[in-house]
Amino acid sequence: MSEVRRKALGRDVGLSARMLLTGGLLGLLYVVFAVVLFSILDVGLFAMVLLVGGLALFQYFTSDKLALAASGARVVGPDEAPALHAMVERLCALADLPKPKLAIIDSDVPNAFATGRSPKHAAVAVTRGLWERLEAREVEGVLAHELAHVGNRDVLVMTLASFFAMLAGVLTRFAMYSGMFGGGRGRDNGPPIWLIVLAVSVLTYAISFVLIRALSRYREYAADRGAAVITGAPENLMSALQKITGEMARIPQRDLRQVQAMNAFFIIPTNIGARALALLQTHPPTEKRLAALAEIARDMGRPV
Amino acid sequence: MGIRDLLFGRSRLKEASPEQLFALSTARVTLEAELGLRSAGRAGICFKPLSAGEFARAERELAELLEIAARDLGSHVSQSRDEHGFQWIVIEDPEFEDLVTTVHLVGTDLAARGFGGQLLAAIFRFEGRGRPVFWIYGYKRAAFWPFVPTGNGQERDNAEELALKAQLEGELPVEQDLSRWLGLFGAPV
Repeated sequence: MSEVRRKALGRDVGLSARMLLTGGLLGLLYVVFAVVLFSILDVGLFAMVLLVGGLALFQYFTSDKLALAASGARVVGPDEAPALHAMVERLCALADLPKPKLAIIDSDVPNAFATGRSPKHAAVAVTRGLWERLEAREVEGVLAHELAHVGNRDVLVMTLASFFAMLAGVLTRFAMYSGMFGGGRGRDNGPPIWLIVLAVSVLTYAISFVLIRALSRYREYAADRGAAVITGAPENLMSALQKITGEMARIPQRDLRQVQAMNAFFIIPTNIGARALALLQTHPPTEKRLAALAEIARDMGRPV
Repeated sequence: MGIRDLLFGRSRLKEASPEQLFALSTARVTLEAELGLRSAGRAGICFKPLSAGEFARAERELAELLEIAARDLGSHVSQSRDEHGFQWIVIEDPEFEDLVTTVHLVGTDLAARGFGGQLLAAIFRFEGRGRPVFWIYGYKRAAFWPFVPTGNGQERDNAEELALKAQLEGELPVEQDLSRWLGLFGAPV
């Protein structure tokens, strides 16, 4: 009886379907992209695939160190942050994960992230603000969310998902330069090759960008669900999210900055409207996450 | 976790396996005779309570069951909540076999009700070498590991823990991955 219900908590059929659809579309897009490229470009492409592959591998294998260094996080031992270590140890034991490296970011803004290519090489970083401004049970909810990312191997999934998007990005720039400098004459009377490559790459990049962001948002929902399963108390993550977004609202949106840093090619008009902008976010809007968590809480027999 | 769970980002708690607990009963002879470690007659089970009503009912029924078992075996059972929000069931019984049996009963009962995933660990206290030595059983790992706090903050005597691992490996299923050796500082046992 209860056995069946408890097992079902970990999955969300609708979410799985959306992930499958997004992943499938992404795969299809990449296949079309590869076929078009291979049919028009026969030299240099292999080298470029190798280059981008090497880049992706580098990113994948150094993700933990890169992310920690980029955020200014400092790895802390059990003697420096005993309470944090004790909390993570217990959550890991419950989730049957090896204990990740723990790092603290000296920032007042409550936030946290997880990185690392596999559970064995994972790192979880929290800001000082998270630890100070949130209650222990809320911090636990946030940490469980990050551990769910680790368990779901989201770094691997997202690296795989964005591999061809990276290639398209590199090709876009490459084609632009070769166009600028007059390289690559067209065959016969057709349009020049660089123009086709540019068009195909830009299109691939644009579509995959939206798809990857969607996938990222679905992984967030999945990690929220994972946190609820690990802690058994979705309401803790809910109140944590409310506090975090309340504090975050005062500073520039991190995700928006990332969007801009990632590609100067896209210019997002500020008046494009929230609906279109939502397509480009890595995280779902807080209200939607709260609604999904409330649903899980109802399934657990604990309406909030 | 299977590949499909990974693809869809599904989380589920691994079920607990209390079966290996009885290995400690057999290892007790070695602990006592060769290492001079005697059971302190105290053991604890640590689990994460759920905020669901269904779980509260299971906990209540478990408490009733424990009361009956304790009366039969002559052990004493108490409950407490620690600062991490985990629930503890502490069992006191001078008979080591009964201690292990009661600890095992809690695990199987919670697992039978579908809450095995909430079980974190069981901890057994041993004495006779100056400072107490603990053996922790990880329900998700189905293995034991030693835990020797020095009493100085969150410090553990890793050298002694590794020595204990080497000495007991033949008799106990000892967790080989050292990164899984969770400590339970301030356990109420």
